[in-house]
This record gives sequence, C-alpha cells and structure tokens, in this order.
Amino acid sequence: MKHHFASSSNTGSRDGEHWVAIVGNPNCGKTAIFNLLTGLNQKVSNYPGITVEKKEGIARTDDGDFRLLDLPGTYSLSAESFDEEIVSEQIDQWAKGMAPPSVIISVVDATNLGRNLYLTSQLQDLNIPIVIALNMVDQLEDHTQIDADKLASKMGVAAVIPLSAKLNEGLDNLKNAVVNARKGNQSPLDSPPWMDSEMVSDLKSTEHNGYVSARFGLAQSMRNKIQSGTMERDQEAILRYRWIDDILSQVTHRGAETPLASSRSEQWDKILTHQWGGPLIFVGILYFIFQSIFTWATVPMDMIQLGMDNFSTFVVNNMPEGMLRDILVEGIIGGVGAIVIFLPQILILSFFLTLLEDTGYMARVAFMLDKGMTKMGLHGKSVLPLMSGYACAIPGIMSTRTIDSWKERLVTILILPLMSCSARLPVYTLLIGAFIPSVTVGGYFNLQGLTLVLMYFLGTAVALILAKVFSKWVGEKSSSSFIMELPPYRAPIPKSVLRHVFIRGKLFLVNAGKVIMAISIVLWFLASFPKVDNPNSDVNPIQHSYAGQIGHAMEPVIRPLGFDWKIGIGLLTSFAAREVMVSTMATIYNVEDAGEEAVNLREAMQTDVHPETGAPTYTPLVALALMVFYVFAAQCMATFAIVRQETNSWKWPMFMVVYMTALAYFGAMAVYQGGKLLGFS
Amino acid sequence: MTLTDLSPGETGIILNIEADTTLSNRLRELGLLDGIAVRMVKMAPLKGPVEIKVHHSYLSIRWDDAQTIRLQS
Repeated sequence: MKHHFASSSNTGSRDGEHWVAIVGNPNCGKTAIFNLLTGLNQKVSNYPGITVEKKEGIARTDDGDFRLLDLPGTYSLSAESFDEEIVSEQIDQWAKGMAPPSVIISVVDATNLGRNLYLTSQLQDLNIPIVIALNMVDQLEDHTQIDADKLASKMGVAAVIPLSAKLNEGLDNLKNAVVNARKGNQSPLDSPPWMDSEMVSDLKSTEHNGYVSARFGLAQSMRNKIQSGTMERDQEAILRYRWIDDILSQVTHRGAETPLASSRSEQWDKILTHQWGGPLIFVGILYFIFQSIFTWATVPMDMIQLGMDNFSTFVVNNMPEGMLRDILVEGIIGGVGAIVIFLPQILILSFFLTLLEDTGYMARVAFMLDKGMTKMGLHGKSVLPLMSGYACAIPGIMSTRTIDSWKERLVTILILPLMSCSARLPVYTLLIGAFIPSVTVGGYFNLQGLTLVLMYFLGTAVALILAKVFSKWVGEKSSSSFIMELPPYRAPIPKSVLRHVFIRGKLFLVNAGKVIMAISIVLWFLASFPKVDNPNSDVNPIQHSYAGQIGHAMEPVIRPLGFDWKIGIGLLTSFAAREVMVSTMATIYNVEDAGEEAVNLREAMQTDVHPETGAPTYTPLVALALMVFYVFAAQCMATFAIVRQETNSWKWPMFMVVYMTALAYFGAMAVYQGGKLLGFS
Repeated sequence: MTLTDLSPGETGIILNIEADTTLSNRLRELGLLDGIAVRMVKMAPLKGPVEIKVHHSYLSIRWDDAQTIRLQS
C-alpha cells in the first residue's frame, strides 16, 4: 500500500499541550460523541467528507479545557484502506513518542463489545491512559449487564464510562474521567498481558524498533513476524480475543439472548435489500431527492432573489453614482447574488445525502450494488463517494480513501467528477427554468424535473462506462476484498445532521465569497472597459469590451456547439468553478443593461435576440447542448487540486481534464448538430 | 463445506480460513475465529457479496472471499 500520509504526522498537537484522541470502530458512535463533547467548538480541515475528515475541537470542563482529535473509524492497527492507514500511521507516531495524546478515549459499541475491545486492547499497548466510552448502553438487550468498574480493572484502563450519545447521557462523566485519567498514575505494563513469557523473550530478541513503550514494541514485532511469515498467522487475533473473551465472561451478565438472532434491522432489510425490490427502492429514493430539490427549493430561492433585488435597489438609491456603485451593483451583487440563490438546493441535497449515510442505508446500497460495481471496474465502496459526488466532487474524492484497493480507488477518482455536482445545479436550473417548458409528460412527470434527472443520468451512465474502459487500461494491480459491516439502522441524530449540512452550506458560501467575488470584479472590469467613446453610437458596449473581444475570438471554436460569445466568456470563467458561469452571465447582462438595478438573468436570456437577424440567441436546443457540455466538462480547479493530492501525481489530474474536455466538446456538438439535423432550431 | 454452501437462515461453525495472510488476518480481527458460529443472512444475486451475522454484527463479504471460510461439516 502506498504511503501518502507521511506529512500528516503530529496532527492536532503542539508540544507539551494537553490533548485527547478519540479512536473507535466505524459505526460505534465516535463522531456523535465527539460532536457532543465539543459542541460548536470544532474545526474541520479542508472539505468535510462524510467520515474521512480530520476533526479537531475543544471540550470544556470545570477543570480546564482540552483539545480533542477525532480519528477515522478503524477495526484494528493493521491498515487495509487508506482511511485506516491514517489511523495506524498516527498511532505508530505516538508510539515513537511524537506528540502523543495525554489520554485516549476508546469508543466502543456496548452491543458488540468483544469486537470493539479488540482495537482498545491494541491501543493499550501504547501505555497511554485510556478511558473507554461504553456507548449505546441504552440499546443493550434486556437483562444484559456490564460491570463497568470491573471491566476497567480487569482490562487495566483508567475508566469505563457507560453512556448513550443518542440520549446525550453520561457525557459529563466521560469528561471528568478524561481529566482524572490524565492526573492518575497507572503503572504501565512491560508486555501485553495476553503474551506468555516464552513468547515475550522470543520477540524481545528481534526487537529493534524505536518505540517508547516496550509493550507496543512487542506487539509490533509480532505483527511484523506474522507479515513476513515467520510466525503463525492469526496469532495476534486469536490471543487477543482469548484474553478479551475471558474478561468479558467475568464482567458481563447476559440475558437469554442469542448473538445470532435476527435483529429489527434484518427485518427491515428483507424489504430494503431485497434482490429486486431493493434496487428499485434505491432508484425511487434518488428520484424523490432530485424532484424535491426542484419543488421545495423554489420558495426560499424566490425569497433570496427578492432580497437581492431589494438590496441592489437600496444601494442604487443610497449611493452616489460612479464606478464604485457600478462595481457593487453590476459586479458584486449581481454576480454573488446569482450564486447565493442556489444555497437552498445545495442544503437540501446535502441533507438527504447525510441522512442516507447516518441511517446506515448507504452501506446497504454498497452491498446491493457491489456485484454490479465490480463488473464496471469499481467497488461496492465506490457507491458512497460517487453519491457524494452529486453534492461535490471534493468530499467524494476524499471519501474514496475507504476503498481498500488502489486500482478501484483510482478509477473511482477519475470518473467521479462526471457525477453532476451541486455547482452544476445552478447552470442546469437556470437553463431549464428559462428554456424547458414546465409541462407534464406521461401523466406524472414534470418535463423540467425530468430534464434534470436526465442530466444526472447522462453523467452517471457515461461515468460507469468509462470506469469499465479505464479499469482495463489502468495498469495497476487489483487485490481488493470487500468486507464491510452493515450497521443497524439508526435514527439519525438531528444535531449531527444539521451540523453537517451547515458546514456544507458554509463552505459553499465561503467559496462563493472568495472565488466568485474576485471573478465577478475582474469580469465586470473586462466587460466594462474600454468604454465606447461616443455613447450615442450603435456600438454595443459589451461587444466592444475586452470580454467581448475574448468571447468573439472564441466564437469560431464554439460555434459548432451553438454557443455564442457570451457563453464563451462563461465557459472560460467556469474553469475557476462551474457555478461562476451563472454569475458571469449575470454580470455580462448587468453591464450590457447598465440600468438602475440588477437584471433578472432568466428573463434576460429568454429575450436575448441576435442583433441582425432578430432570432433568439438561446433556444432550447442550445440550452440542451450547453447543459451536456456542463455534464462532462472538467471545470473545477479545486477538483484538479484534490486529485493531484490524492493520486500524488500530475499525470492523473491532467488526464482527467483532457478526457473530460474532449467529452464535453464532442458531446455538446453531437447534441446541437444532431438536433439541427432533426429539424430543431 | 464452505460459508457459501450455507443457505440463507442456516448456521455453521468455522473450521478454518484458507485465505491469504492479509484477508485471513482481517477476517480474524473481525472476530471470525475457529469454532465461532456464523449465520448466513442473505446472498446478493449472481454471486454477489453474502451477508452474514457473526457475534452481534452483520458483515458483507464477497463471494470469493466467503469461499475461503471453511465450516465444520
């Protein structure tokens, strides 16, 4: 496996500072506990993927504050996916004495204690005080009892705190235990308690690693020996489980339950992952999400539009005439306003995606589609990144880290930008709203909604076909297994869902603020200068401007796609980010109009006519060709940067831009020319 | 017999695992030890992944990988 994370060392700590790490299995409620401990005092670096992010925060207690780092979920220290590798490299650093945490919170799922304690027992080798957060005690079956204090003393951890993140119970106890664990002094063990003395002396002779804790060193040399084949494999797992099971038999009192009994989630799955019904339900859910993006978002969108209009009128009325006012109204308010209006749709989409993930449904989708995905050269775990790609390619690409095999991961990254992200949504909505009639077809379907679904479908279908092609062509070796836990269905924790949606919205707005405002200003300048000398002449000021000149220079290249010079400028500025297309068009029309307030972009495009022929500049066919262009085009610098980072090469991002641009150009050309041949204008 | 010989609803006891070191290690870490009972829950169509229940959790394992898990007959 490639080591991409060497630079991620010392994460989240400054020397000598008191900080705490949270470690646990996937689906054990680790992130929920982290959120409850830190509240809003947290920082998510870069883009929030669904689970692969590095999250830091501050927890406040009466005894002072401590910093918390939330690590990705993992089952053990032997990493298989990139995600797990982040954790094991991190822990390896701590073991070598590089900025270790002063306390580790080991979150375990009380309903599946044995397996969860496996990781805890590996963490114990570090000889760092551990507090076990015994989560989900509210979900224990009747009559099952766990003696927390006895468990703590048998395991040799600082404390075991029963709690429920769902009911928000026991969190204060956890905080206090962490503070006490730091103060308390336990006598560290020299060797793991599950190793006999013979094995210890045998391993000691081979020990030559710079670990601070001798106990960790012994466990690590055991893992090395197993890897190199000089020790019988599975030994670590067998010995650890023997130790854990022995302890559990002394501290738990079980009711009459049987571990293999059918759970409520299993009953649900009879329908939700049914051989044929399951995929159908999945398609239905997708359709519902996309339809609701259109119908539910209209009200807040209209309100934002109204607010923006009023605001620009207000500025016009209260500011002296001049260049500053022009920049403000035509450049900034027009440009940024055209983007902010799409915030409701982005929030709705992120909301649904988070919901699907948090309830545990996404894992079922991966299970159902794994066979199909492998046939296309992908992986069952590609489903979630690809779905996240509908919101934004960046968290999607980052969440491919959970895919164990490099080859499947690379192919997933390469095709992921073809999933229509939320930045394309403004372009689609603008064009669909302006040029696709809102009529009902086939009795049930709104043509506008259907067109939108078609765009998403087109991107997805081509992505899957290309995945097959690329996987034949990418020379990397595939050695992938697919072992995944299907977590029980759980009601999402509203606070946690809202947080996630909030962060996505904030990132969108920050980007809108930074990139789009800068581009709007530059564009306003390019579109406003040079000024026409004689204001009464017939010269169209925008055609005369720098932007107009650039657009006209591009026209011969994009004419075969049905695009005019205005779209040409939009295509260019889109390379910063797709949604800039909309603000670009808004700025161009605002400058052209030079009126008192920001123009309504939709109406402006509908009524735009060719200056000589008087024919409409934009027709439904042109709109369709333009949408197809946007389905395929690689117009996002941020995606380029993240692909560069995740593949650790320039080759793959370059390849991505080339293939996507070619697809976009020829795809749009096929639509426009084909449409003309069929008699559409 | 192997894990894939079970029909949905049937239970078997693990005899051993014949996978390569990495896969075997991963399965062991997830608690699939010799002598442990597993129940077949569901099989995805066309030799897709199988869903099993072991200890208290549900796991999805690919068909080929599941075939390396041998059961007591």
